[in-house]
Amino acid sequence: MAAKQGKSPFELLGLMEYLLHILILIGIYVILSVSLNLLAGYTGLLSIAHAAFYGVGAYVAALLALRLHSPFLINIFCAVILSGLLGLLVGLPSLRIRDDYFVIATFAFQVITFSVLNNWVSFTGGPMGLPGIPPVSFGGLVLSPKWVFFLLVLLFAVLVLLISWRLVASPFGRVLKAIREDEVFAASLGKDVSYYKVLVFVVGAGIAGIAGVLYAHYISFIDPTSFTVMESIFIISIVIIGGAGNLWGSVIGAVVMVALPELLRFVGLPNVVAANLRQILYGALLVAFMMARPQGLLGEYSFGKGGGR
Amino acid sequence: MTGEALLEVQGLSKFFDGVKALDDFSSVVNRHEIVGLIGPNGAGKTTLFNILTGFLAPDSGQVFFKGTSLVGCPPHGIASLGVSRTFQDLRLIHRLSVLDNLLLSFRDQAGESLGGLFFRWPQCRHQENENTSLALSLLESVGLKEKDGEPTGDLSYGQQKLLSLLCGLASGAELLLLDEPVAGIAPVMIAQLLSVIRGLPNKGRTVMLIEHNIEAVMAICHRVIFMDAGIKVSEGDPVTVRNDPRVIAAYLD
Amino acid sequence: MIFSQLVINAIIAGSFYALVAIGFSLIYKTARFFHFAHGSVYTVAAYLCYLCFSLWHLPLLIAFAAAIVGCIVLGVLCELLIYRPLRGRGAGSLELAIASLGIFIILQNTLSLLFGEETKTLFSVEVKEGMMLFGAKITSTQIAIIASALFVLFCGFILLKHTRIGIQLRAVANDPTLAVISGIDRNTVVMMSFALGSGLVAIPSLLLFTEIDVTPTIGLNIFMMSVVVMIIGGIDSIPGVYLGAMFLSFVQTFGTYFSSSKWQEAIAFCLLLLFLLFRPQGFLGRKAGKITL
Repeated sequence: MAAKQGKSPFELLGLMEYLLHILILIGIYVILSVSLNLLAGYTGLLSIAHAAFYGVGAYVAALLALRLHSPFLINIFCAVILSGLLGLLVGLPSLRIRDDYFVIATFAFQVITFSVLNNWVSFTGGPMGLPGIPPVSFGGLVLSPKWVFFLLVLLFAVLVLLISWRLVASPFGRVLKAIREDEVFAASLGKDVSYYKVLVFVVGAGIAGIAGVLYAHYISFIDPTSFTVMESIFIISIVIIGGAGNLWGSVIGAVVMVALPELLRFVGLPNVVAANLRQILYGALLVAFMMARPQGLLGEYSFGKGGGR
Repeated sequence: MTGEALLEVQGLSKFFDGVKALDDFSSVVNRHEIVGLIGPNGAGKTTLFNILTGFLAPDSGQVFFKGTSLVGCPPHGIASLGVSRTFQDLRLIHRLSVLDNLLLSFRDQAGESLGGLFFRWPQCRHQENENTSLALSLLESVGLKEKDGEPTGDLSYGQQKLLSLLCGLASGAELLLLDEPVAGIAPVMIAQLLSVIRGLPNKGRTVMLIEHNIEAVMAICHRVIFMDAGIKVSEGDPVTVRNDPRVIAAYLD
Repeated sequence: MIFSQLVINAIIAGSFYALVAIGFSLIYKTARFFHFAHGSVYTVAAYLCYLCFSLWHLPLLIAFAAAIVGCIVLGVLCELLIYRPLRGRGAGSLELAIASLGIFIILQNTLSLLFGEETKTLFSVEVKEGMMLFGAKITSTQIAIIASALFVLFCGFILLKHTRIGIQLRAVANDPTLAVISGIDRNTVVMMSFALGSGLVAIPSLLLFTEIDVTPTIGLNIFMMSVVVMIIGGIDSIPGVYLGAMFLSFVQTFGTYFSSSKWQEAIAFCLLLLFLLFRPQGFLGRKAGKITL
């Protein structure tokens, strides 16, 4: 998330700009949490690799924009393809490895991806990252005012929500839920469980890539530290707290998890303290929800036993 | 009431840790038959079903359904060919509604593919509406129509068994493999389920069922196979098999 | 000689991994889920020691003892306050793992809050030269790590085979239902394994702290290395832990020698993936179960 050192965004921007900043972040996290919800909430495939898909999308767009100066739509297209490919790679092991062991496998993919982003210095800039990513432009029109970029993020968030709605409120979504609850039963009804699992990974990863592209162009500087395991866990928390298996839950979850901790800034705490408190807050929320309300605020699934025997 | 052979099982064998679950089992199921599979626990009946539906690979032997070999086919592939099954421990999606479980069972749904969803949406909607009317009429035929929106977990055990039978029907499968369809339910429900099964050959279906309830088997099966310790001991019409001295001896053991 | 230095380094690293993994392995045997918070228990050990020794100026041994006791308490609290109630309401291993991630985040950030994120050092002395052994350099701490690992292995065998708690632990690990029928209280055994495992993980943390600085964020990767070790060696096997630890450290040591130390983590996780995909029972574990009907 946003930088922790030095002045807070609120001090740097004015009130309006600050609010837009928060809304843009919420939009990006809605896209991330909806895409993870498709995987984890609807199909029951929990993954700690989501930040890897997010990061690949960001880096692909950044590299294309910086090195080739290619148009924004081409960048998004390539980012989605490449994140989707990584999704394919991560999804395939889900066919052989079950449940919590699969989560460990996704952890491995996450760390390996981070390692590549951090260590392949000649290509990705390594820990120094990629500065100076140009703003989004269509033809000659540069989308630089914040409120315009916010509209772009809003557009993509709505698009993602519509696509996801079509996916889940349909026979396709019914199959996903069936796989989540009892994949043996689903297979006995003629559903190709393996195909759906890998497909939903590709789709979820591709959508997360879109969020990465938006993030890269917004912040204009990316480095590997934005795409770590901790980021994956944050996205998982949004899905769980908002509600696994409910799209509105992902929206509410993103709003709650991004906006509420911002209130901490106004209590007058030093920046670093606020950052740690925010994390303690969401760690505590995660534990509290798992104990008292594992289906989250609006969800229907709680990652419990009984599915996929 | 026999037609041509729908399912041919030839020399199926299966070992589990040195125990022979199936020993050179062969049989034929003809069109529009109701075949009963009986025998003590551990006789290999469910193992046979698991092999027939692709959840288990046999160690040797062949299975042909309408001439197509089933061995090596994945479960969803066998289901698409027209073989459906119910499970001994009654698998249904409890969190989904009764109607949704039925809708899940229909084959060849355009709305289950990405291409269909985004490029042939009107077709998907139309098909979903058709399937919904079919599903509702199925529910009505067994008196479950008012429960269509309820979560399946809220139904009674007997109603769930009825529902899983309906799911087999909805799938349009020609061969239904029913694993203990009337076990553990009240006599009234047993009668209802049996009448549904009895009517299946008239709807063009063929049934093979596993049961411990001998009366039920006597009531509706055209043919009975008796298994013990993985071996087919006796086969024929219900009365003959019941009076077979080998069958009597096996039950007395 | 380069080769013997590499071998010694690998043995040291392997011993360290084994020490960390054995604590988690004991917990996993009975609790059967990935207790991610174990990583922060490791970190807490170092910080408790720092608090007692560097801030409160207590004697080093007292600081060590306090750290070990603190870890035991922390591990037991996790079990009593969070995992046991969750198990009681029927939570499965995935839900427990998710809750554990939450606990880990709370603990790691609490340490950051209390102590700051800069590195903490135990002894502000110059880097020790170390002595020569079989043509390779080795420090006294590193010898202590190797010795401790062997000692713990030895104690582990005695514990599991010859003490009552050890036998109960193995019973619960092999077949929880049968253990309960035989009159063993599963909850007590689980709590004991949390106590043992958490106390054990303090040892490598403290030993390493005498030579290497700590920050609040070191715990997660250390924990994941235990997971890698356990999966390579075999989930249910104590000798497997040592085999897995040595295998991992040798592959890493020689692998980074031929490439670069920055790929150390990636190597470990690639090994993890390979084993999960092609030999999930590890070198010495039992064959994992598949979908049954």
